[in-house]
Amino acid sequence: MIWMGHVARELGRSLYRNPMTALGSFLSLALVFLLFDLFWISAGTVDLFYSELLSQLKMEVFIARDMPESDLEEMQRRIMTMEGVTSVEHVSQKMAREELTRLIGADLLAGKDSANPLPQSFLLTFDGEHLSQFQLEATEDTVLQIPGVSEVFYSRIWLKKAESTKAILGDIGLVLGGLILLTAFLSSINFIRLMTRARARGFQQMLLQGASKWFISLPFLLEGFIVAGVSASLGWLTVWYVHTRIEITVINIVIPPTSETALFCLVAGVVGAISGFLGVRKMVD
Amino acid sequence: MKRASDNPDEKLIELSNVCLKSDRDEMIFRDMDFSLRRGESAVITGPAGAGKTSLVELLIGTRFADSGLVALFGHEVAPRKRSVIKKIRRRIGGVGGVFGLIPTYTVAENIVYPLILAGMEKRDRLERLFAMLTEFSLLKQSADYPDHLTRVERALVQFARATVADQPLVLIDEPLAGLDTQTYERIFEYLVKVSLSGRSMLILTSDVPARELPRVKNYNLGKGILT
Repeated sequence: MIWMGHVARELGRSLYRNPMTALGSFLSLALVFLLFDLFWISAGTVDLFYSELLSQLKMEVFIARDMPESDLEEMQRRIMTMEGVTSVEHVSQKMAREELTRLIGADLLAGKDSANPLPQSFLLTFDGEHLSQFQLEATEDTVLQIPGVSEVFYSRIWLKKAESTKAILGDIGLVLGGLILLTAFLSSINFIRLMTRARARGFQQMLLQGASKWFISLPFLLEGFIVAGVSASLGWLTVWYVHTRIEITVINIVIPPTSETALFCLVAGVVGAISGFLGVRKMVD
Repeated sequence: MKRASDNPDEKLIELSNVCLKSDRDEMIFRDMDFSLRRGESAVITGPAGAGKTSLVELLIGTRFADSGLVALFGHEVAPRKRSVIKKIRRRIGGVGGVFGLIPTYTVAENIVYPLILAGMEKRDRLERLFAMLTEFSLLKQSADYPDHLTRVERALVQFARATVADQPLVLIDEPLAGLDTQTYERIFEYLVKVSLSGRSMLILTSDVPARELPRVKNYNLGKGILT
């Protein structure tokens, strides 16, 4: 308790005696974390946007003309049992014709009422995890082995482009996120170092009195924890405030859940504590 | 004043065949032997550059001997024995030389620092602090920072800090240099009191003290040899 009281006083002393440095650090770190928060939200929103786009992707399995009607039910059942398939809808020749009419209009088909060259097919939908190029290719291979299947179609080029765009965005995100966190880490270290530099002479005297390095460093560890943790929280509070004030209807903005943001603030605090230790370490050697 | 715990035979300081060279490879101490038992005090007199501060540095573990044994309170002071050195330092009160005040602490905070390290309760700390502030007439300056103190006041704060936790050993490097006669007498009286309380003092000075402390041994340090 005695030591805790002393550590708390030391912590307060450091912030109280350098208010402008402390304020500057809080604000600069809060801005860095705010940037990271916006980036995190963008990443989540882009991810959702892609998921929603991909969820509209369907696979069409065309059936050979000589396939007996009696075998269709069995074929549908086989396809339904495949991994990742969530629904199998049968599209008859008549339905295909109606769809064609809807797409290109009845005028172009005038006089060709009796002709219907369109094959019947099955329209497959998949769960989100299965909507990747690799998984769909595997499904396509399996489906093609079923007797009576003549052709399989899905938007593979679009899927390929979507996946590569997502991967590029992910890589850029990883680098940017890393840079932002590194900036926050270095800012914390510099802040603590700035605070401690003026006190280096005092640290030497503390060591001569028999204080341990940990005893001297602990307030600065806590300081780093508080400054980084509070700055991260400040960033999130700003985000939440703006989110409740502005309504965006064009796209769904994904705000991370409270548990994740709380964990982020905690991690930021730990990073701050580590940077606090690194900031003071040389001064007490 | 409280007496330090008694074990009259305990060697507080033991130097045996200690050799120390400077960075320029000049010999500072040559096979130095010295010991100080609990309750004894010693005055080591030597000119500037004789190695008085180097001796203090050896004792508090900020510097290490090239050969020989340096032990305090029965524990060897050696590199890689940081926890031992830390404990030894807590039992030493230091004044002058390498010892200074913590600039960001007030007078009161400087004085109670050894008590915090000793884990003393706040109430007892305040009692001790008040006694020390009264003893050295520092009550008015208790909230001042060292930068605002005179040289004499800073010396008084150091004496208060060096004895507040009943440290069994007090190292005093050039203690009375530059003090006016009145302060000199006052501090000397206090040192007598400390000495009579059973604690040991090692005083390193370039001037032979005008008055002699009780139970004190006198040494001369010159050319790396203690006589």
